[in-house]
Amino acid sequence: MIERWALVSGLRGNLKTYDLIQRDLKKTRGVTSLFVLGDLVGPERNCDALLDRLKNPHRGDLKPDCIYGWWEEQLLAERGFRGERKADALRLSQGEDAVNALLNTVNPSNLNWLASLQFGFIELDCALIHGSSSDVGDNLTSETSPLILLDRLTRLNVNRLFTARSTKQFHLELTGGGINSQVKDLNGKREQQQEVPKRSVIGIGAGLNYTLYDVGSDKTHFLTAGSKTNPKRNGFA
Amino acid sequence: MNHAIISCLHANLPAVEAVLNDIDRQGINTITCLGDLVGYGPQPNEVVELIRKRGIATCQGCWDEDIIDGLNACECSYPSQLAERRGHLAHQWTDDQLTDENKSFLASLPTSLRRDRLLFVHGSPNSQHEYLLPDMDAFAALERVETAGADILFCGHTHQPYVRELRDGSIRVRLQNADHDCDQGEELTLPMRKIVNAGSVGEPRHGSTNATYVIHNDATDEVEIKEVAYDVARTCQAIVEAGLPKVFAWRLSHGFEFAEQAEDASHVCER
Ligand SMILES: [Zn+2]
Ligand SMILES: [Zn+2]
Repeated sequence: MIERWALVSGLRGNLKTYDLIQRDLKKTRGVTSLFVLGDLVGPERNCDALLDRLKNPHRGDLKPDCIYGWWEEQLLAERGFRGERKADALRLSQGEDAVNALLNTVNPSNLNWLASLQFGFIELDCALIHGSSSDVGDNLTSETSPLILLDRLTRLNVNRLFTARSTKQFHLELTGGGINSQVKDLNGKREQQQEVPKRSVIGIGAGLNYTLYDVGSDKTHFLTAGSKTNPKRNGFA
Repeated sequence: MNHAIISCLHANLPAVEAVLNDIDRQGINTITCLGDLVGYGPQPNEVVELIRKRGIATCQGCWDEDIIDGLNACECSYPSQLAERRGHLAHQWTDDQLTDENKSFLASLPTSLRRDRLLFVHGSPNSQHEYLLPDMDAFAALERVETAGADILFCGHTHQPYVRELRDGSIRVRLQNADHDCDQGEELTLPMRKIVNAGSVGEPRHGSTNATYVIHNDATDEVEIKEVAYDVARTCQAIVEAGLPKVFAWRLSHGFEFAEQAEDASHVCER
């Protein structure tokens, strides 16, 4: 079967957005999997209705596979699921009020489910992670140094890394290049040449902005849920 | 000006003394130490006190960190359960021996030291536990130096001294944009950078029993790997007398830690 993935992130408790995406996907041909790459929760609104829908999909929903993101990490840390660590990153960047707001958006009964979510998926030669293997908050964009992008791909030993943290949509391919290295030790010198492997980093967007990925042809399609003007929504193969 | 970099002293006093003598003989005044003052060896207090007395600038090693924070490196750091048990035994022994004063000295050490374009760390800029092996992916190696904002990165932790020059690097990229599928090709030229591993004074694993360290000339950027013979038998005897695992003595007298490399040396424990 030809696989087509839908990749979603940054819902932050917004059930309406998720509903629009599900409607879109119903109208799109051949979507085989739906991956939700974290930030299911956020400080703006109560998140329980969305979490319920993700846990218990409606009839006709494409069943979502979820991992945790930066906001879940903050919530779980503050709720004591991460050992000594608290929501330090959030506290530092947005203050105590933001931490309290976040705590109030999720019913404690949902915490165990959130804590059971994985850090990422490896599917075929693709890694699906909220940030990168270096950190759930790793903010990769098309502006990030290709050296860093290559490093993140190398750490996972995958050809494609799907990331969501930046909220941007982009598909950056590493197409060539190389490097020489010389090692000198007590046994003498040796030279090495290495080429840049053909690999890509894909930013999948956030909220209404989501991504379709055709696994066989390695094509990404950047979409906005509910937008009637999107010419690529239907009919691309 | 020549300056010396030493690493991984591992509580081996005869080796530390021999290396410091060798450096002094050459009239070199600036010495930087990349950590692992303790662990495996039989004289942790003596070695820490010597480094303190000499006022040698030091960063914190993986053993120094573990003595302070407790053992939280996961079993992935060890190649076998046997090696892990021995590591734990040495950790416990060192923890019992070290004075509170020497422990607080280890706790006070920074994870990195910087002098202009030179950066000094124990393992890598990311972690005291990350191994930068001589043959690791060249781009990943360059990323460590470049992200840390250094021209030359001095590290230890592998116990194998080497100098690695990374040059003539480039990466070509093409961007598929969100709004329009324009093909934008671009080429990034990568800078030339160096990684210098100082090897190990007190627990060499480069195939000989000699202690190793490096000398860097900060005008010419030339690096020399130095080997120093010391009284290995004296340290081995002290290891046995202290009741530490005999294999540590055997290892020192062979200069190589047979089959005791972690399988995935680039693995960084997330714990
Ligand atoms: Zn060491
Ligand atoms: Zn170490």
